[in-house]
Amino acid sequence: MDVIFRVRRFDGEKSYWSDFVIPAKKGMTVLEGLYYIKENYDGSLAFRASCRMGICGSCAVKINGKPVLACETQILHLNSTTIKIEPLDNFEVIKDLVTEFDGFFTKHEAVKPYLIRKEDRYSEPEELIQKPEQLYAYYKYSLCIKCGACYSVCPASSSRDDYLGPAAMTAAYRFIADSRDEGDGERMQIVCGDCGVWRCHFAAECSEVCPKKVEPAKAVQKLRFRSAIYMLEKFFIRW
Amino acid sequence: MSNELNGLRTKRVLEPAGWVLQLITGLVLAVLVTFHFFETHMIHHSAMEYENVILRLSDVRYKIMYGLLLLSVSFHAFNGVRAIFLDTNYGSENRRFVNILLFLAVIVAFTYGLLLLFSF
Amino acid sequence: MRWLKWFEFRGKSLFHISYSLHRLTGIVLVIYLVMHLSYLTSIRIGREVYEYFTSTTLTPAFLIFDILLVLAGVYHGVNGLRLILHEFGLGYELRRPLLYLCYLLTLVLWLYASYQMYLFVMGV
Repeated sequence: MDVIFRVRRFDGEKSYWSDFVIPAKKGMTVLEGLYYIKENYDGSLAFRASCRMGICGSCAVKINGKPVLACETQILHLNSTTIKIEPLDNFEVIKDLVTEFDGFFTKHEAVKPYLIRKEDRYSEPEELIQKPEQLYAYYKYSLCIKCGACYSVCPASSSRDDYLGPAAMTAAYRFIADSRDEGDGERMQIVCGDCGVWRCHFAAECSEVCPKKVEPAKAVQKLRFRSAIYMLEKFFIRW
Repeated sequence: MSNELNGLRTKRVLEPAGWVLQLITGLVLAVLVTFHFFETHMIHHSAMEYENVILRLSDVRYKIMYGLLLLSVSFHAFNGVRAIFLDTNYGSENRRFVNILLFLAVIVAFTYGLLLLFSF
Repeated sequence: MRWLKWFEFRGKSLFHISYSLHRLTGIVLVIYLVMHLSYLTSIRIGREVYEYFTSTTLTPAFLIFDILLVLAGVYHGVNGLRLILHEFGLGYELRRPLLYLCYLLTLVLWLYASYQMYLFVMGV
């Protein structure tokens, strides 16, 4: 079955639509369709992709208005003869479907997404023991692949550049909920700024579009509750 | 997209306090606004006549109830507007101005309403 | 004008739409609050001014505005209770049924309140 791909293009100056006809077969993904275009019609088409199996998070694009991973979306499952492919919202477009992720990763870095221990003894390393239920407290949030789908639909991210965004705050909660981590206070100071958890108003669209079902909305609600209590407690004790 | 996150520098207790109070006043309002609607529209049909309004405003119990309603609603409304402003780049650049302006708005709305409560 | 994206529904789920409506009704209610507070000053000025105001606003022609206002109020209230529940970290797994329940409850309460206001204005 032939399917028309309408791809949103941007060449650095102007944006326009390009149409391509793709001979879709059963099981063919949108990403394979994009590769088909690159190989047969237009070698200048730019898009990001790497693993082709939903692990790397490179190929998130907006397909028919919804952000999804191109490698996990089958063309025939979309049930439409014209498929609109656009770059993610809330990101600056560099070329065609490729968007600028620098700011996104800066924010991810800002929440210190790594284990913080009071003392690290690398000379005599010790095992950090964790029970299964302690693992399950954060396991789901550790599945994030940083594809940016949640960030692209978040209404707060769309209007404020320095808002941390759902992905970064989920990463923060993933470490705060980790029983081995001892950097709670440090991280809460960061997410408690006014570009942090307070800008979330539970539109919950991030959980709707997340391709790995990480549920960022839940993580942000829990993070906000914990950081509010932490901050207020600290304020009143100091008083 | 800027690489600098200027929202990281802020008064840490202001935001959590605002959030918690927004939720609490929200709950209070759900009850009081419903009551307000009931007593103006449903208990009896002359509730909005001048004498009855004055009568209610002179009653201490009503004064307390209206005072609480007024306080909650002024805070909830203008703190909500503050959140809307802070959701934008304009708000992140003029955080202090927005905070002060909307805090003044709460005070003005509250005292303006109190004038009415204390006139009777 | 990037905030206009708050109200863009294309390709968005009902969750995003309820967020947009919450914000929209919130703004409407703030405007109404300011109007309501200034309107009440008429009580202090005197009986004639107050009665002039009520005689123009408590009329069938104004009923449509009142009904729309109550819709905004009821929606903001019911949806707000749902948000408070979630923001305290409760009922996240039930968020879809709760969302539908919220719309249903809004509709029921709105129709009931509208009926009561209709009776009130018509003086039945």
